[in-house]
Parts: sequence; structure tokens; C-alpha cells
Amino acid sequence: MLQPLSSQHELQQVATLLGRSGLNFEPDADDVLGIKDQCGRLLATGSRQGALLKMITVDSEHQSSELFAEIIHGLIGRGYQAGIENFFVYTKPAQYHSFVALNFHLLCTSERVALLEYGRGIKHYLQQYASLVEDGKNGCVVVNCNPFTLGHRYLIEKAAAKVDKLYVFVVEADHSSFPFQVRFDLVQKGVAHVRNVVVLATGPYAVSQVTFPEYFLKNSDLARDEQVVIDIELFGRYIAPFFSIKYRFVGSEPYCATTHSYNKALQQQLGQYGVELCELARIESTEGAISASRVRQLLARNSFEPLAQLVPETTLKFLTSSKYLQQVHIEPDLGRH
Amino acid sequence: MEIESKAQAGTMQSSDMMVYVEPAEQLIIEIESTVIKQFEHLIRERIEQQLTLMNITKGLIRVSDRGALDYAIAARIETAVQRSMEA
Repeated sequence: MLQPLSSQHELQQVATLLGRSGLNFEPDADDVLGIKDQCGRLLATGSRQGALLKMITVDSEHQSSELFAEIIHGLIGRGYQAGIENFFVYTKPAQYHSFVALNFHLLCTSERVALLEYGRGIKHYLQQYASLVEDGKNGCVVVNCNPFTLGHRYLIEKAAAKVDKLYVFVVEADHSSFPFQVRFDLVQKGVAHVRNVVVLATGPYAVSQVTFPEYFLKNSDLARDEQVVIDIELFGRYIAPFFSIKYRFVGSEPYCATTHSYNKALQQQLGQYGVELCELARIESTEGAISASRVRQLLARNSFEPLAQLVPETTLKFLTSSKYLQQVHIEPDLGRH
Repeated sequence: MEIESKAQAGTMQSSDMMVYVEPAEQLIIEIESTVIKQFEHLIRERIEQQLTLMNITKGLIRVSDRGALDYAIAARIETAVQRSMEA
């Protein structure tokens, strides 16, 4: 019978069953399900963390049964009740057919992993923007803008001047101090004066939980490389052709090693999709490059005065409003993102 | 009548289907199926028939089919619609 698993003993059973398939148990799932036989032996298990299905395995003696479909059905049914409509899974390339048989769609595959999704999917995500698509020499930037600074504005103005239309994709995943809706809103207000700019949400298709297959790949360097390949492939295969994007712009990255190596990977891999990477120099204020992390540091110290040097009026207006206090939580010891 | 809340019905087993319904401005039927090439038109016809029978004129109806026969299609649609009314 399909059931949620939560006791220490049950989770130990999950870890053992996963171990036999060469998978690791991770304690951070939102939902852990299992199917046991009459003796209480665990035959199949699967977990969900947000929209990502993981830690899925069926006992080797029961592989041919419908236990796999039952586990996936349970995870998706309960996830749907929790408000999630589109699900993702990473699997070995040799095994992705078992998900396709359940109407999952293959998004991309590398030598080591395949990424699949279940739901209305990337086609639906793109379709909602169909009316914005125009042929031409278009470009894009993918930004988090946590929050929108004069640096972002400069990058977007420069990029927009070089193309017919510039699509600004704001990362939708909420790992940032400023929630998505606020970040998106401040970008929109901050670039309203640039005629050929359209601001869009990335959905789960860039820099999201979905583009982090660490779980599947135990070696974390390998995982990071793989993550970047998947992220760039999603962009190159689906997003760029849909919007006729020929150029992707990034700001030069003086501080963050992760962003720096991501830019390097973009440089190497975008070409195969007919997209050219253009790196633009950042503007500097009197105290070095303008970055959102500096803005957050100042905010953490309640130091509002220097902000006018770093953010446009539209962002400043928000930072000094009551909405800021209600919607944004700045952690004192912050990372770069 | 229109679909007023989200609901689901069915299973992912072979010869069955999952049905997801939710509110929408018009009637939209989206079909995914392992046998879509051969049978999409027949699946759609059966879904439309059942929705007409239940007088549903607005809603997003998504099905994820693994080769359900037409009585199974009718039953799953009926259950999903009923659940959306009860919620």
C-alpha cells in the first residue's frame, strides 16, 4: 500500500533501498512515499522536493510490476494538492524511457543525466509569450536583480542599443532576499524608459531548483558542470530559437567565482545554438563596481544614504517604503546571491 | 456549468488516465497520451461527449493517458468534474 514515510525506522528503510540502487538518501524532501508488502518490507520509494521528484527506486525483485507508476502517481497527486502543477525529474539516460511511458517529456539529455518534466511544460511556458515574439536581431539577458541597481540598468541600456529587441528574463526561483514579484516589478519600473525592452519571467527553466542535479551526481564538481550544461541547453534549444535570440549579454564578473565560470561555460557552449555571448564591462561608482550584494550589505546595516549612488530612483523609492519592510528580509550574513 | 476549482482523478497505471481540471475562461482540452498519434481524435471525442453530458462549458481539462478505453475515459472525466464541484 502506498503511504507517506516519516518515522526514523521508515527513513532508514528508504536509505537502505536507495543504497542498493546506488542512490543517496537526502533528508530535505517535502514528501517521502513508500510501498510496503504485508511483512512491512519496503518495495518501492520516491520523494518530492518542491517540483523535483527524486530518490525514486523500486526493489530489484519487483521491477516489472506497476509499483513504479504507483509511486510516481502518489508523488504527483500529492504534489498537485500542494499546488504544484509541473514536475521535474533527473534520471540516468538509459532509464528515461520508464518516465516517458508515464507521459513525462524529455527536456534534455547529456552523457550522464536526462532531465524530464511532467505537466503543461516548457511548450506552455513559451506559448504564453507568443504574442511578444518578433523576428529580428534580438538579444537577451538573464538577471536575478536582487534588487535592481544602476549596474543592471546600465547593462540593459547598453545591450538594448545593440539589438532590435532585448528580452530581460528575471529569475523566478525564490532563493533571494527580495521575492520574485518585487524583483520583477523593480526591473520593469527600472527599464520602462527603454523602448525595445520586454521583461519576462524565466519560469523554472533557468537558474532554478530544476537546474541543480546535485542529488543525482554525487561528485559536486561534476554536478556543477552538469548543471551548467543543462541550464545552457534549455536556453539554447528552447528559449533562444522561440524568441529569435542571437545575442546573450552578461556583465563582466569581478567578484563571484561561480558567475565567472558560468560566463565562461556560456562562452564555450552558446555557439552551437547560434547564439553569441557578449560580455559588457560594468559601470563603477566611486567605490568600485556597482553590485546588488553591496546594496544588500548597506541595507543590512540600515545604511540608506549611500544607496542613491547604487540604485535608480524607482528602486530607491521601494527601499524607503513600508512595502520594503513587509516584503523583504535581509539576512545579516549574506552570500553573494 | 463551469469548472470552479482544481481537482484530479485517475491513476498512472497502464490502460488508465490521469485527469486534471481547473477553472478557465473557455473550454480547453489538452491531451497527452502514449498513443496520441493513433488515438488523439477518439480520446478527444470521448472527453467532449462526457463534458457535454455533464453540461460543462468552461474549464481547463488536462488528461495524461496511458491507453485508457473509452468507458475508463468517461469515468475518470466524470469523477474529476464531480470532485471539482464538491471542493
